Amino acid sequence: MHRTVTLASLAIASLAVSPFLGVGAAVAADGDTMANLQPVALNGVQASGTAMVQVNGTRIDVTMAATGLLADNPHAAHIHFAAEARHECPTAGDDADGDGTINTTDGGPAYGDIVVSLTKTGDTSPDSGLAVDRFDTAPGGKLSYERGSIDVAPEVATAIANGESVIVVHGVDHNDNGKYDGEKKSDLDPKLPTEATDPAICGALVSAPAGGADTGLGGAASSGTDNGLLALGGGLMLVATGTGAVAARRARANA
Amino acid sequence: MESPRKQGGRRGATSVAAAAVLLLLAGLVVTFSGLRGPEASTPDAPSHTSASSLATEPSTTTAPPQSDGSDKAEKTPDPGFGPSMPGSAPVGLTIPRIGVRAENIVDLGLADDGTIEVPQDASQPGWFSPGPSPGQLGPAVIAGHVDSTTGPAVFYRLGELRPGDRVQVARADGSTAVFKVDKVETYEKKAFPTRAVYGTTRHAELRLITCSGEYDTQTGYLSNTVAFAHLV
Repeated sequence: MHRTVTLASLAIASLAVSPFLGVGAAVAADGDTMANLQPVALNGVQASGTAMVQVNGTRIDVTMAATGLLADNPHAAHIHFAAEARHECPTAGDDADGDGTINTTDGGPAYGDIVVSLTKTGDTSPDSGLAVDRFDTAPGGKLSYERGSIDVAPEVATAIANGESVIVVHGVDHNDNGKYDGEKKSDLDPKLPTEATDPAICGALVSAPAGGADTGLGGAASSGTDNGLLALGGGLMLVATGTGAVAARRARANA
Repeated sequence: MESPRKQGGRRGATSVAAAAVLLLLAGLVVTFSGLRGPEASTPDAPSHTSASSLATEPSTTTAPPQSDGSDKAEKTPDPGFGPSMPGSAPVGLTIPRIGVRAENIVDLGLADDGTIEVPQDASQPGWFSPGPSPGQLGPAVIAGHVDSTTGPAVFYRLGELRPGDRVQVARADGSTAVFKVDKVETYEKKAFPTRAVYGTTRHAELRLITCSGEYDTQTGYLSNTVAFAHLV
């Protein structure tokens, strides 16, 4: 009894204080992001795709499609993030070992670590990063993926909502023989050929535009040309992103 | 002699703090999901629409209990996204109904304030290039000015579009993505339904965006008009 009361009051007290404790980050923000998946530099894959991630608190819904991938072979796909990463896809300059292709490790400085494994079933943690039996196999070269309510860590949800994460789809048939093979082993798992894990297509998950569009200059309206206040509204939105969803909602009304 | 006590005290304080954070998280989650309910069904979901998929929030898919079953929240192997095209940048835009024939499309990104950039040249539409290209799965976004400083601009007549009207987007790969208009909506900027316009879609769709409504000399146009279309 006593205990219950104490706990309850604790909860109330902390709720009251929460906005100042940085708990906004723990609750994470709601947000929508999208990525335009394009061939990874140097790896020569003629594929493309899109991905959309909707963030609701610490849950994400992922929708993704791609075409032009090696058909009927598993394509590991992940959301990558690291605070110190560049939050972008690797370029030719990231070929650290100078072998003329970008392997997963080469891409690290650009996109960071695996934070979500986009498996079709079961675990979605980084532990499943190479769970090749649970990834889409791209029948006919087409990948279609949709999975909802993936639980992620608060800092991961925040990073995604803030447009700092990157989607990478792996699997490159360098020698064009229709399967993953070759002498060279994966930098992630020596039991796999590097073809199975090299990044094929990649795209930064960019935040959807905040609020409306400033698409008028007034020349066909009655008078005036000043629209500086819109920028101010947008600025409020940015500040709010860091302080959590409740603040963000308020800002949205202002934007 | 003082230090052991202090340590103990600190440890106690730490666990109380930890408990507080946990409780608070639980409390916030409850509060938060409580708050979200109404929001999800407010302006984000326009009531009248001829498009089947547009107004629906990305489905909750597999039915079972909403929480905790996350690991089982898998979906069908083929989600059935409908027709789509490979990625290719738009290079032209034709909308017969409203006399739009643009032969140049500029790339748009995000402005520093998080809003969508707009074309410098009011006669040219702009494509939000970090997102889907027209024809790919998702909402491809093309924004254009309703007017310049001197008169009507490329999307001046956007509001005249009607459901069923065709929109043709020429692409860099030589193909043309043809869209059919589902609906045209006008939103006050202060209540702009970001998720409905820019959020996840399960088909290849298109959003054409311009300004509308009253013009305020301080803040510009107070509304946006958005045409929603899907790839046919």
